[in-house]
Amino acid sequence: VGPRSTGLAVDVRAATSLCGTLLKYLSASALFPAAIALGYRENPLPFLAAGAIAAATGLALERVGSSAGISFREGYLVVVATWLLASAYGALPYLLSGEEQVDRPVDAFFEAMSGFTTTGGTILTDIESLDQSLLMWRQFTHWLGGMGIIVLALAVLPRLRVGGRQLLESEMPGPEVEPLIDRIRGTAQRLWLLYVALTAVEAAVFTLFGVVGVDRRMGWFEAVSAAFSTLPTGGFMPENRSWEEFAAASQWVAVGFMVLAGANLAVTYRAIMRRQPGLPFRDEEVRIYLAVLTAAGALLAMELASEGVQEGEAAIRHGAFQAISIMTTTGFATVDYTAWPTLAALTLIVLMFVGGSAGSTSGSIKIVRHLLLGKALRRELRQTVHPELVLPVRFNGAVIDERALRGVTSFILLYLGVFALGAAVIAVDTAIQGPGLSAIDVIAASASMLGNVGPGFGDANPMGTFAGFSDVSTLTMTALMWLGRLEVIPLVVLATRHYWRV
Amino acid sequence: MKVFLVGAGQVGTTIVEALHEEHELTVLDTDSTRLTSLSYAYDVRTVEADGASRRALAGAGVADTDLFLACTSRDEVNLVAASFARVEAPSATTVIRTANVEYIDLWREGRLDVDFVVSSERETAHAIARVIGVPAALETDVFADGQVQIVEFDVTEGASPDVVGPPLRNARIPADSRIASIISGESMILPRGDAVIRPGDRLVVIGSPESAQEWSKLLSPGGGTVDDVVVYGGGQVGAAIARQLLEQRIGVRVIEPSRERAWRLAEELPEVRVYQATGLDPDFVERERIGQAQAAVFAMREDALNHYAATLARVHGVPFTIAIVHDAIAREVYEHSGIDVTVNPRQVTAEEIVRFAHDPRTQQVAMLEGNRFEVLDITTKPTSEYVGLRFRDMPIRGALIGAIVRDGRAVFPRSDDVLQAGDRVIVFTETSRVPVVEKVL
Repeated sequence: VGPRSTGLAVDVRAATSLCGTLLKYLSASALFPAAIALGYRENPLPFLAAGAIAAATGLALERVGSSAGISFREGYLVVVATWLLASAYGALPYLLSGEEQVDRPVDAFFEAMSGFTTTGGTILTDIESLDQSLLMWRQFTHWLGGMGIIVLALAVLPRLRVGGRQLLESEMPGPEVEPLIDRIRGTAQRLWLLYVALTAVEAAVFTLFGVVGVDRRMGWFEAVSAAFSTLPTGGFMPENRSWEEFAAASQWVAVGFMVLAGANLAVTYRAIMRRQPGLPFRDEEVRIYLAVLTAAGALLAMELASEGVQEGEAAIRHGAFQAISIMTTTGFATVDYTAWPTLAALTLIVLMFVGGSAGSTSGSIKIVRHLLLGKALRRELRQTVHPELVLPVRFNGAVIDERALRGVTSFILLYLGVFALGAAVIAVDTAIQGPGLSAIDVIAASASMLGNVGPGFGDANPMGTFAGFSDVSTLTMTALMWLGRLEVIPLVVLATRHYWRV
Repeated sequence: MKVFLVGAGQVGTTIVEALHEEHELTVLDTDSTRLTSLSYAYDVRTVEADGASRRALAGAGVADTDLFLACTSRDEVNLVAASFARVEAPSATTVIRTANVEYIDLWREGRLDVDFVVSSERETAHAIARVIGVPAALETDVFADGQVQIVEFDVTEGASPDVVGPPLRNARIPADSRIASIISGESMILPRGDAVIRPGDRLVVIGSPESAQEWSKLLSPGGGTVDDVVVYGGGQVGAAIARQLLEQRIGVRVIEPSRERAWRLAEELPEVRVYQATGLDPDFVERERIGQAQAAVFAMREDALNHYAATLARVHGVPFTIAIVHDAIAREVYEHSGIDVTVNPRQVTAEEIVRFAHDPRTQQVAMLEGNRFEVLDITTKPTSEYVGLRFRDMPIRGALIGAIVRDGRAVFPRSDDVLQAGDRVIVFTETSRVPVVEKVL
């Protein structure tokens, strides 16, 4: 063994400082649920205390660290650590509220991670028994995490001296960020603006439904909660039975907004700003996204109708809702699909690996990667016969860089590897500590957590809970959500020695 | 006319060769050996100086020139020289040679302050694409926006007896076409009714594009339409050829050994199949069925490589081979070893540039058989002695009117048609007679 450099090549102090700054600003988000608590005459102290702790921790980290700017390498560390810190902060209100269902740190941390990563799987058994303010905090964590905490910071904070692009790319879902304008900050601002606008529109539509009487179940609280959960493709609802009790019209509107949330926000932004509603349909990914959505919805509807589970409009609605909810990694449900026939269940599990578009708030592998992998495979087949042919892979007419293509392949392999590992740990743990799970339940749990979908099968069905799992499984699933939200690679990179050394 | 020429390379020399008899030429170059050999061969004034220097241009007397030609192999020098010439001699027509597609586009948009732009690559691609469009042709050129085509054919043993053997008055010559000349060896005849086409002759035909296709079928039966062409070499010339062929809806495969260039081409032209290979490996040629291509173009940088690759392609069964010539001597080697058509980019470029030195009424010039014949596109003067005459009554002066362009439409004249003032005529003649023809028409 030759001489080895002991010096770290990563400026941990600079990264610590930046994480502190981000946490400090994030702590302001506690004011919103505190205000809700005051409005409902509930106790605002858990939120104020959580905010105070986070702010103090942030300031302390800022002091400990150095204010030197960060570079490419530190970006990974900052993103990975910030999401861990954010989830820890998000767990504080649950712990401080004294709510019995989430009084253990592991459970509260799971719930917070599920919130920020827009997964939507819950550890709660009786959701409706929670305080209104705590319910709104769950929804709010979805909404903050959907577009990205760091993207928000880049958009709002005037002087965040960071290598913006690298951070944005690590945090934004999808293989590459297509800048809307040249400056990263401008792009982040525009994306957040669109996100806020769409959320407002959805909340307004649902509130109107409630007022007009289309959906009597829908008050302003439910309307805002639904909007906070749909656009980040989250999955939490302040309801025990998700969307089951809402009117058919509301369910259809939710379908529409889920489709929008799973589409590339940059494409939507351009279509709106240039007033060209046809623009998205010229995008290769949008076309395939819509085709897969339609096909999956139709397939489920036909399965339900032919098996006699549902009929007519209900079959179409439930088929489309479930297919789109799972594929966009939202995780809402209008029915408990656990009782569905095997073919329908398998269809849903396959959809968990599909995901939405690049540049959307959805998780999982995403359409564009499937598309690029498919194109790369087709090229391999062509080159088997014609080894010398030069065949650049194109996407929307533009040639895709070979490195990016390799990145897609490695991502998919890593993703499947992590999924398998997660499933293995859950399988072993549940075999030892219970609860007893079927093979499909194990696969669904791992795929759902890693893809930030939310519900699984068995007890963890959309109307059920993850409360039955042991701490080992709960922590494993928390880690899967974390890995899935950051798209695996930043975390895996941190685990290599080459990251830390020169 | 006073002509100023910057660059005495192969293009420059070909231009001098074509223009030195009628015009007053000044040639500028930095290489004294080139200038010396040029001044020994032709009666031209030579100046050893840098064309990109304004002082040098002024000193060489560019101010009173009528036509300024910048044809060095360096685009930037040509561009700079032409812009200085514009300042020194504002009334002169300026022409530059360039390989850069960007400059050509800029010129088309009117943003480049030169009068004409000529590109070797584009002219070469056009020449090759025209030949491929008419498979049996040796050389073709188009006039009047493509309505009139001049085609040169070799008559082979397999040619149809409809045209080969009987005297021309009895031969079934395709409609809308005229035989401009029958060349056998050194002798050339402007054919009359009793002339006979024999195997081994070379024909020059003027006619519509459809008739050119018919001639092609008559002279080489069995040659169908072309839809698969293999281009060896994916450099600038190869890319221009591929682009031109694609425009004519002909399928193209390109073979390019350099990874970088192969990728660039594949990225730029998605419809082209690009192989990253030398194309000289028999396994490759066999595996990719290169032999099944109807034509192959050899556009690599080295003549010897083109020669070897073309021979290999012929061995594998490619029926029609076209090769680029860089060194004039290679032409003979190519033709000797059975390559069907040779194209010299420098010659094609020179030809294009020479067009600007003609009478302003002359719109377009093509050269055939080296510089032996020219095809002119001239607008007739009202005072011409030919105006008002029927074609059969016209005096013979060693020239033949192949087509008339009247009100923008091409007409292929019969013997009792009458020439009118203002008609554009497509005339085939020997190079030495060009001044006479321009005078009388």
